[in-house]
Amino acid sequence: MMNSGFDRRDFLKMLGWGGVAVALNGCGNTSVDDGKETVVSYVETNDYMIPSISTYFNSTCAQCDAGCNITGRIREGRVLKLDGNPDSAINRGKTCGLGQAGVQHHYNPDRVREPLLRKGGQGEAITWEKAYALIAEKLNGVSGEEIAFLTGGVSGHLKVLLGNYLDSFGCKNHFVYEAIAPAVLRAANKKSYGVEMPRFNINKAKVVLSFGADFLGAWVSPVHFSQQYAQFRKGVDGQRGVLIQVESKMTLTGANADRWVVVRPGTEGILALGIINALGIATGDIAAAVKGYDKARVSKETGVPPGQIDKIAALLKLRSPSLVLAGSAAEGYAHGSQNAAAINLLNQVLGNVGKTVEAAAVVPFPQMAPATGNTAALKTLNDGLNAGKYKVLFSYAANPVFTAPGAMKFKDSMAKAGFRVAFAHYLDETAMQADLVLPLDSALEDWGTQVPEYMAEGAQINIQQPLMEKLHANTRGMGDILLALIKLRHTEEYKKFDDYYAYLRTAVLQNKGALGGGVADDDTFWNETLSKGIIKPAGSSHVLSGNATAAGLSLPASAAIDAQYPLQLIPSVSASLRDGRHTNQPWLQESPDPLTTIVWDSWVEIHPKKAAELRIEEGDIVEVTGKNGSIKAQAYLFPGIHPDAISIPLGRGHEALGRYAKGYGVNPFQILDAVFDKETGELALHETRVKVSKTGQRFIVVKDEGVAGGMQMGRKIAVRVSSDKVRLSEEV
Amino acid sequence: MSVNNLLENWSQFRHFHPVDDKPHDPYKWAMSIDLDACTGCNACSVACYAENNLPVVGKEKYAHGQAMHWIRIERYWDEDDREFPDQGAQFLPMMCQQCEAAPCETVCPVAATNHTADGLNSQVYNRCIGSRYCSANCPYKVRYFNWYDYPSDDNVWPAEMNQQLNPDVTVRGKGVMEKCTFCVQRLHAAKGTARSEGRIVRDGEVQTACQQACPASAISFGNLVDPESRVHKQWQAQQVALDKDVQTKDKEEGGSELRGYRIFEELRPYPSVMYLERVRESAV
Repeated sequence: MMNSGFDRRDFLKMLGWGGVAVALNGCGNTSVDDGKETVVSYVETNDYMIPSISTYFNSTCAQCDAGCNITGRIREGRVLKLDGNPDSAINRGKTCGLGQAGVQHHYNPDRVREPLLRKGGQGEAITWEKAYALIAEKLNGVSGEEIAFLTGGVSGHLKVLLGNYLDSFGCKNHFVYEAIAPAVLRAANKKSYGVEMPRFNINKAKVVLSFGADFLGAWVSPVHFSQQYAQFRKGVDGQRGVLIQVESKMTLTGANADRWVVVRPGTEGILALGIINALGIATGDIAAAVKGYDKARVSKETGVPPGQIDKIAALLKLRSPSLVLAGSAAEGYAHGSQNAAAINLLNQVLGNVGKTVEAAAVVPFPQMAPATGNTAALKTLNDGLNAGKYKVLFSYAANPVFTAPGAMKFKDSMAKAGFRVAFAHYLDETAMQADLVLPLDSALEDWGTQVPEYMAEGAQINIQQPLMEKLHANTRGMGDILLALIKLRHTEEYKKFDDYYAYLRTAVLQNKGALGGGVADDDTFWNETLSKGIIKPAGSSHVLSGNATAAGLSLPASAAIDAQYPLQLIPSVSASLRDGRHTNQPWLQESPDPLTTIVWDSWVEIHPKKAAELRIEEGDIVEVTGKNGSIKAQAYLFPGIHPDAISIPLGRGHEALGRYAKGYGVNPFQILDAVFDKETGELALHETRVKVSKTGQRFIVVKDEGVAGGMQMGRKIAVRVSSDKVRLSEEV
Repeated sequence: MSVNNLLENWSQFRHFHPVDDKPHDPYKWAMSIDLDACTGCNACSVACYAENNLPVVGKEKYAHGQAMHWIRIERYWDEDDREFPDQGAQFLPMMCQQCEAAPCETVCPVAATNHTADGLNSQVYNRCIGSRYCSANCPYKVRYFNWYDYPSDDNVWPAEMNQQLNPDVTVRGKGVMEKCTFCVQRLHAAKGTARSEGRIVRDGEVQTACQQACPASAISFGNLVDPESRVHKQWQAQQVALDKDVQTKDKEEGGSELRGYRIFEELRPYPSVMYLERVRESAV
C-alpha cells in the first residue's frame, strides 16, 4: 500500500492527523481498505424503523460555525425537526432559532439541483463528468499561483482534503473569508492572553461588563453563552450576576442588561481606560498609561456621565471575579485593535485572567483546526483579482459579491478571473457571477467532521452525518467533490477511497486510539462515534501567556463630526440572519427582530431625538447616503441608539438567493467604506459615515409590536423587580 | 334564567376547572417562565413553527395582523420618558395561557374550544366554524385564524418544504381558529407510553418544543398536580395557586420577596402559565 514515494507521514497528513504530537495507534490493526464500504441509507428500512415511530440521529448544526451538536428527528425517512444534543458541552440540548431553521435549508425549494455551466446569461445543466473534465481542462497548465480558493470558515477533514488538494498544485492561495467574524478580537486576544479564543466563563462571573459583545445574539457561540447567562442570573454563591453593556446601538444582549450604557461610537476603549483609572488599582506602566484618562475627559469624549463611570468601577471592585468582553461593536473601527486591547487590559487589571478568562482546550490535530478568516484575506484576494493574477477562482461557503464592502467592487474584480467555479447550495450573488456552479448536498445530507473555534469544555470534534437520503440526485457533498478533484491529481493514493464517507471512516479508525476508541473493534467504534455525534479526543489546553501591559496603547479622540456625513452607520448583525446566507429560510424572515419586532424588511434605526430634528417619523422612507453610494429603507424610531448614529441590519437586500430573500430589504454592505483596522487590516465595519434624507414616501412598518408601540399602558404584563426585593437562593 | 340573574350572579354560574366531579387527576399541565432568564431571542417561536406546522404568511399578510406565531416575544420599553432605555427592554414570551376559566370557551357557539381533563384549553379544528368570537374574547390575543388556505391556495409549503411537516400535527385549512396546544401531540404520546407501562408521565419525560429549544432554559413545563414536578415546586415556592385570583404576592405589594405572577389575574381566567418577574440590579 505504501510505496516509496508516499510514506507514512504523508499518509497521516492525507487523513488529517499530521502535525505535532499525534498519538496514533500502531498501524497494524487497521486496514485502509475498509474504505470500500458504502453508505447505508436510513430510508432503507432497518429493523428499528417502524412507520409512525420517530428515530433520532446525532449530527452537527451547520447554520453557523459555533458547532452546536444536534439530534435530528427522522420519521418515514424524512428529517422533521432538529434539536440540541443533550450530551453536548456546547449547547446541552438547546438550539437557537437559526439552528431550528436548518431543516428549511435542507428542504429549500430554491436549492441548486444540477451542475450549471454559463451559456450567455443562462446556466445550462451539465453532467458531473463534464463539470470535472471542464475543471481539469481549465487547470491544465495553470500554476499554483494562478489559482485562488476562497472559502468561509472551514475545519475538520474538509479542510484537510482542501489543503491536500491545493498542495497538489503547490497553491498557497486559500483565502478564508468570514464577513462578520471577530477577527480583530482574535488578534487582540492573542496579544492580551496568548490565544485567539480563550474560554469565557460568564457563569462564574459576578459582573459582566460587555463592550458591544452580543453574546446572547450573534457573538461567537450564542447558545452556549445563553446557558451560561441563565446560570449567571441565578447567581454565584446566591449573588445574582450583574450585566453592564456598553455600546452605541442596543443589541439583544444590551436589551438584557441591568444597565445599558450608551457610548459615543468608537470611544469604547477610552471608556475602558477611564474605568481602569477610576478603579485606581493599576500599577506600573498601566497606571501611567491611564493617568490622563480622568473622569472629566473620559466623560466628555464618551458621553458617559462621570457618576456612571464611578458606579461601574465601584461595582467591579466590590464584586469579583468579573468578566470584561470586547465585542464586534468595539472592534469595528480603524482603531479597533486598540479598543479591544484597552478592554482586554481591564480583565488583566481586575485579575480575571485565569478565573473567568481561561485557557480553552485544543484539538491536538492542527491540520483539522478551524481556518478562521477575515476581510483582510478578501482584500488580498480582491487586489490579486484586480491585478489579473488568477486564472481560476473557486468559491465555497462565502458570498463576497453580497458581503464585500461596496467600495471594494468585488463583483467587478471577480469578473477578472479567467474561470470562476462556485460550490453552492443556492444561486446566490456570487454563484450568479460564476462560470460553473456545482450544487452541494445540504448539511443534513452530507458527511463531515467539524472542529468548533470556541471550545466550551474539553476538546471535541463534531460528526456531521446524513439524516436522510439526498433530496436531489445530482447534488454532491463538498467532501466528495474535493475527493473527486484530488483523484484527478493523485489517482493512486486516493483511489482506495470510493467516496468521502470511506475517507472519513478510514481517517477516524486510523486514529482510533487517540480518539478514545480504546480496544473496541472498528465497527463498534465507528458506530458508537456516529451514534454519539461527538468525538472527545484527549485534548491539551492552550496556555494563557499574555502579560498585562499598556505598551503601544494609543486611542484617538472621538472623530470630529463630518459636516457632510454627520452620522455613523452601524451595520447590525442579527441573531437569525447573520451575514445573509440564511435569508432564504422563511421562518427566519418571519421571525421578528427582537428589538424592533420588524419582519421581512430592512429598517433604519434612528434615535427619536435625532428623528425629531430631521422631522423623520416611523415608516418614512429615508435615503442613507455615504461616500460609496446610498440605500433607501424605512425609518424606525429606536431609543436604544446613540443620536449621532443610525443602524441598518445586515443580511437582507439580496438580488438573488431565492424566492424568500430576493427583493426584501436593502444591503448595507453595499455602501460600506473600505476603512481598515490599522493593525490587523480587518474591515472596520462601523467606520462608514452617512447622511440621512427624507424621500417623501412613507409606508406602514410591518412589525409585531402593537399600536401601543411597546408600552404596557399601566397593565401588569411584563413585570420587573429590583434585585434587593427578591431572594433568588430560595427559589426552585 | 334571566340575563339579569346570569349577570348578577356570574360567579356562581361560571364554570371553571377543576370542579368537584372532574378533578385534575392525574394530570394538570402547566408552565412557568422565568423572565430573568428569558433573553427574547425568539428560538422558542421558530421551534414552534417547526413542531406545529405553522404557516409563514409573508410580509403583506403579516402587515394585516395575520401572523400565525403561536408563541411570540413581546417587547416592552420603560414608560418614564428617559432619553435612553438604560435598563434594557422587557421581553415576554406570550402564548395561549391555557386558562382554567377560559374566556374563549364560553363564547364558542359550537363548543369547538373546550377544556380537557388534563387542564388544556383544546381547539377542535373540525368542529370550528370560524366565528372568531373566541379570539375577540381572549385577553391575551393568542388565537390565530386561518384567513386563507395556506397549504393549497397560498402554497406555503412548496415542494420539498412540505416534507418537513410534522405528521403528528394537523395542517389546518381555511376558516378555522388555532393556537398553542402545549404541544398536545407530545403530551398524548407521553401519556400513551406511560399508560402502557402502568404509571403516570414522569417529570421531564415530555417537553414542549419551545421549552426544549430555549437556550436559557427559561421555560419549565410539567404536571402541576405531581408533587415531584419542577413546575409544581415552582408554583408552590412562589405561592401561586391555580384556583385563586389573589395570590400572596398581590396581598403584600412589594414586601413578599416573591416573583411569581400570572398575567391579567384580575380578569379571573385562572391561567396555567406563571411568569417570574424579571430582576434588575439595584446597585447600578
